[in-house]
Amino acid sequence: MRRICYAFGLAMGVLCITAPGRAELPAETLTVAKLPPSNAHRLYVSDITIQHIVDNRLHVIDGEHFKYLGQVSTGYAGQSTLSRDRRELYVTATYFPRLARGERTDVVEIHDPNTLEWRAEILIPPRRAQALPYQGIVRTSVDGRWLFVQNATPAASVTVVDLKARKFAAEIPNPGCWIIIPSETAADRFSTICGDGSLQTMVLNHDGTLKSKTKSGRFFDPDADPVYVQSQHLGDRHYLVSFQGKVFLADLSQETPTIEAPWSLLSQADLKRKWRPGGYQLFAVHRDSKRMFIGMHKNGAEGTHKNPADEIWVIDLATKKRLARLPGHAAVALVVSQTPEPRLYALDAVKMALAKFDAGAKPKFLGRLEGVAESATMLELH
Amino acid sequence: MKWFDQLFERSARKVAHSTSRRGTLARLGKYLVVGAIALPVLPFDRVNRDAHALAPGGGKKKAPDESQCEYWRYCALDGFLCSCCGGTTSSCPPGTEMSKVAWIGTCRNPVDGKDYLISYNDCCGKNACGRCLCNFNLGDRPAYRMGLHNDINWCMANTSNMFHCTTSVIIGLAEQHS
Repeated sequence: MRRICYAFGLAMGVLCITAPGRAELPAETLTVAKLPPSNAHRLYVSDITIQHIVDNRLHVIDGEHFKYLGQVSTGYAGQSTLSRDRRELYVTATYFPRLARGERTDVVEIHDPNTLEWRAEILIPPRRAQALPYQGIVRTSVDGRWLFVQNATPAASVTVVDLKARKFAAEIPNPGCWIIIPSETAADRFSTICGDGSLQTMVLNHDGTLKSKTKSGRFFDPDADPVYVQSQHLGDRHYLVSFQGKVFLADLSQETPTIEAPWSLLSQADLKRKWRPGGYQLFAVHRDSKRMFIGMHKNGAEGTHKNPADEIWVIDLATKKRLARLPGHAAVALVVSQTPEPRLYALDAVKMALAKFDAGAKPKFLGRLEGVAESATMLELH
Repeated sequence: MKWFDQLFERSARKVAHSTSRRGTLARLGKYLVVGAIALPVLPFDRVNRDAHALAPGGGKKKAPDESQCEYWRYCALDGFLCSCCGGTTSSCPPGTEMSKVAWIGTCRNPVDGKDYLISYNDCCGKNACGRCLCNFNLGDRPAYRMGLHNDINWCMANTSNMFHCTTSVIIGLAEQHS
């Protein structure tokens, strides 16, 4: 027999346990679990935790084995993005010293995605958009040098952070416009979608300040058929989709953005059934196969543009034809891995679950992970 | 504040219902900037505007009250109803601050069949109320049309910008532009 005593402080006194002599469990040593090595199917799920919005979190999920791996704290209305080389995770967040009061501080936190440990932070102007996470609110430049953060006061501007020097570099106004679409070929450029129906490209100086800006012509009608702010790219050609299912392709490889004539996701029969795209991160593109996966709902109308998916459509971007229709899983966010055997992940808005699909030649549903988040809207793959 | 609604399925169904009820209330027109807020001026078609109105005593089920997501003023509201948090549709709960800026919706009152401009002011300075989360998006537009956008914290211009709940204040009749 062994007598083991634990001290619980003054109030509680001392608890002693007499352990039995045989079949006893071995004593344990508390450790910190090691994160398994990352792979292309690790998921980062942004959760605004609306019921207690002051303390958001990012859920880290092994998408291959559908296992919960850990969390990153993301503050008030926080948002994250991985570095281009996947060695750092950037979190933009707001903090108040007295939880709901006191002087506001906005920061870019740098976390290590291999350990989920906090590494450093960079102070930024206290103007970052405290918004539902949308992919384009926080983006990196193609070379990884700059972090662009959308601001709102509600006047719109973009904070430019020098990630190499680890400091705030500049603030560039983008009034009447919103969202950051970095060029995928030029490190000194990003584009933004404007309320007059155009795209505007900003070119940076070496110090991150604004050098020049150029607008495309008006290519969409922001009243009758606005474009979503979600975008996906093939090289430096970026896809945008409108509320009523038009697909636009914007070429951002030059300083002036150019947009191809749009085409529709919808056949006459689809229009009759009022199929429309819907959600927040509503579509994803697998670049090698040139396939788009997009959340669609029936009986669409004004005001249904964020509705969860009844179906996920698979579109061949080369032929502009629909290849398959997958069950919708009430998706409001979609991501697809850029692997030879791609996996599509859908965030179920009703049950806050994840659904997984084989996104290869013959797309099919593979499985679900329930109870992932509280009120998530955005996914990122490692 | 426009936030995500865990009762999304229910909201989505109701959106479809209310949208069909509103028939052709579909397109937003040009915008008149007043102060920091962009107000929509709506040229929408008013044909059949009263066809499905929920008239009192009209033999239809009782219209939703202001503690329910389906109440008519909430057609573009996304947030916790201040009516459930100690305030009303036009007052912030005790001890909170009114937001200085707001987004705008246009909602049809089923009783008089008229379309009203609604200012969705958030109430600020306390943690999320956590009661009566609702989510409707009639006329909501991406943030490049900021005054019509409900996925952002409208306490953003306040000194104390913690989001607590959302009101829905009538600011007048929506004008018809031909």
